[in-house]
Amino acid sequence: MISVSLNEIYSETYKALRSVNIEWSLAKDSANKAKWLVQHGQNFLGSILKTADLYQKKEITISINENTNKKPLASALIGLLLVEYVSANKITWEGYIDNSKFLLAAMGIIAEEQQINLILENEQKEIIAFTKEKKIYVNSNLDTKVTSYSYLKTYDYIEEKNTKFTSFKKNKEVTNLNDKCWERLKSMAFETYVPESETSKSGAGY
Amino acid sequence: MSFQNTTSNLDYNHPIRSPSTVMKLDRLGSFHQSRLSFTRRLIDDLKYQKSKIEIYQWDIDNSGIGSAIIKLALKKETLSLVIFCHSINDEERTDRVIAEKWDMTFSLFKGIPNKNELNQLSKNLIIQESGRHNSKQLTLSRANKSQRIFEKVLNDLSIGKQPSEKLINDVGYLVRTTAVYGNGKFGIEDFSKTNGHIFLQKPFQAEMLTVYLVRYFSIELINFLAKKKGGKKSVILSKHLTKHLGVGNATGLGMAPFLVNHQELIHQWIYNRETAISRVFSIKRLNKKTQNKIINYIHQAFKYSLQWKVDDKLQSKKIEKLNSDLKKILQNEELTKLLNFDYPIKRFFNFFKDDITLETQEMLNSIFIEPFPELLEDLINNMGAEEKKSVFISYTVNDILDIIKDNFNWAIKIDTSKPEENYCFWYTSQTKLEPRLGITKKDAGIEKQLPFDIAHQIKQAVNTLNKLPSNMTAAEVMINHPELRNIIKRVIINKSMPYSEIQNNLIGKDMRPIDILRCKLSFFGASKFDPKSNLWTRITLFQGAPLPNELWKKNINDWLFPNLSNV
Repeated sequence: MISVSLNEIYSETYKALRSVNIEWSLAKDSANKAKWLVQHGQNFLGSILKTADLYQKKEITISINENTNKKPLASALIGLLLVEYVSANKITWEGYIDNSKFLLAAMGIIAEEQQINLILENEQKEIIAFTKEKKIYVNSNLDTKVTSYSYLKTYDYIEEKNTKFTSFKKNKEVTNLNDKCWERLKSMAFETYVPESETSKSGAGY
Repeated sequence: MSFQNTTSNLDYNHPIRSPSTVMKLDRLGSFHQSRLSFTRRLIDDLKYQKSKIEIYQWDIDNSGIGSAIIKLALKKETLSLVIFCHSINDEERTDRVIAEKWDMTFSLFKGIPNKNELNQLSKNLIIQESGRHNSKQLTLSRANKSQRIFEKVLNDLSIGKQPSEKLINDVGYLVRTTAVYGNGKFGIEDFSKTNGHIFLQKPFQAEMLTVYLVRYFSIELINFLAKKKGGKKSVILSKHLTKHLGVGNATGLGMAPFLVNHQELIHQWIYNRETAISRVFSIKRLNKKTQNKIINYIHQAFKYSLQWKVDDKLQSKKIEKLNSDLKKILQNEELTKLLNFDYPIKRFFNFFKDDITLETQEMLNSIFIEPFPELLEDLINNMGAEEKKSVFISYTVNDILDIIKDNFNWAIKIDTSKPEENYCFWYTSQTKLEPRLGITKKDAGIEKQLPFDIAHQIKQAVNTLNKLPSNMTAAEVMINHPELRNIIKRVIINKSMPYSEIQNNLIGKDMRPIDILRCKLSFFGASKFDPKSNLWTRITLFQGAPLPNELWKKNINDWLFPNLSNV
């Protein structure tokens, strides 16, 4: 295991995603979601590596309209855009979503920053998570790792029934990550660097 | 108090200068340190904290090799600077971040390290970026002795002689840092985790503290080595020379992307500076004491400009003109009269502004805000900014186009099809992961360029947005055109934070990265900018700053534009 800082998580994640040609802003959104997950005691690293892999194989999509069970929406990449879109247009979005914990991170971020009440439901219309007053509450009985058909919408009133929801707790501890996975992320990030040219060295104090 | 009834004396709000005036690189590259600079704030905070700085451990041998710990006791916490001094050859001593060996390596540490921690630090500090660092470390840094001055000063002191004032002034420091890393770099503590540490949660406080303690160490070291070398014959460096020594720093492109990547923060810094200027321009009357203070600061600035020597031809010319501008101002017969009028600072500035350079204008602005710390307190204490991860959802296509029309006219005016507006590109180099500039037509790697082509992105956004329904939400645009998210987010931030964008083409042929560096360094509190090319500069931090044993004194934070009287 290796202990890393949040700054390192952010910068290595977005660079790694840039190395597989993911748009700058999506890569940075993903890095912010990864950081948010870590800050809330959740894992992110394996999922980010998998997302990069699936994106290259074209087995996930960033299209909100053309997602399928076999090619679901990449919540790690598009999650924040999706919650902004649903919130701004006050619509219900439905579709297949991959690894929805990144969508939960996006919901958590927009709740903290813009206090928007959102609700995420599964195919059976069970509540997976909802945001309320800067916080996100998650149904601890449901798995968020698998691909699922989901509904995301804003709400004015929510009936929580008897389901037990828990909020993520802020994690203040040092983050320890699998060092092999971390090295893989870093080596992907390294792909975004450029060998220094002689012209750029000139006048730069060499 | 130098200025009485401040609030009642402000019966008008002088308009703040517009972003289109301020956010140009030639002006940003003319900024000087001011009351708002972080070095100045650190001294205030150290004083408020009743700080006690002392050598806690000293294991340095006669040749200057070994380790030391400097302890800083604050009101509620203890920090320490852990130092290792190494033996390196002269030819290994380079300023640049690409170096592999240094005379000294440092880390600002939470508390005092125990034996195991010190052992870990000894293995990792020496290799800096290649080491693995931990969350008790707040910074990571290194420095080299100044080859121009260190040995000379040591020799002089060892034979009982004070070094030449000219030498001290020409160089200004005994050691020069080549990097001071903070905020989570290489595993050290994240800035966001300093919440709850009132002393540390201001931007760059840990970095500035590191440099201040390095300055203290460098002075202790030279006095120690002089004594070891000269024995009873030796003397310690005189107080006034000691005070004129800061810490050198060599800064290159590594610093430049910060101002592009941290829009909210750069807005906050510059908006606060402009607010400070507008407040002092709104002052109706100045009492005699304050008038004299301002005139004294101009005299001080004049002497400083005479002692500011650089090799760079362009900067030399600027300094020459600065010097003649200040002389002209000081010799002007209207000077005292101007400061006696209503709204004296505004009048003073307007009287001279058309005949003086940007360098002089911005030096005057630093001078004008200097006598009024009580008027700036809220600004000084509010130099941080929260950076949002999401994009505000209430904007439509029409709104975005309106903001672009109002705030990004500078970008629209640039003909981005011209080769000179596509002259260079920014990238991260494989060597030490530092940002670099490549030449578009010459160098490989443009496909990996950093997204600093703001003007180009604005034009691309306008082309797309013009084809979309005006009431479509920005969120819908971005989800269908993720390639526009970066620029739409920037535009929306700029709506409420108009000083968040440098208004020049950052990939154009005319762009001088040194201007970006200087802007940031002025907020750090740097003095004696000494450009070595358009890409890197040497500077001095804490020159003239109070020494640790003076922090308790009254008006101790009064060290704008330091100079030596006998040079």
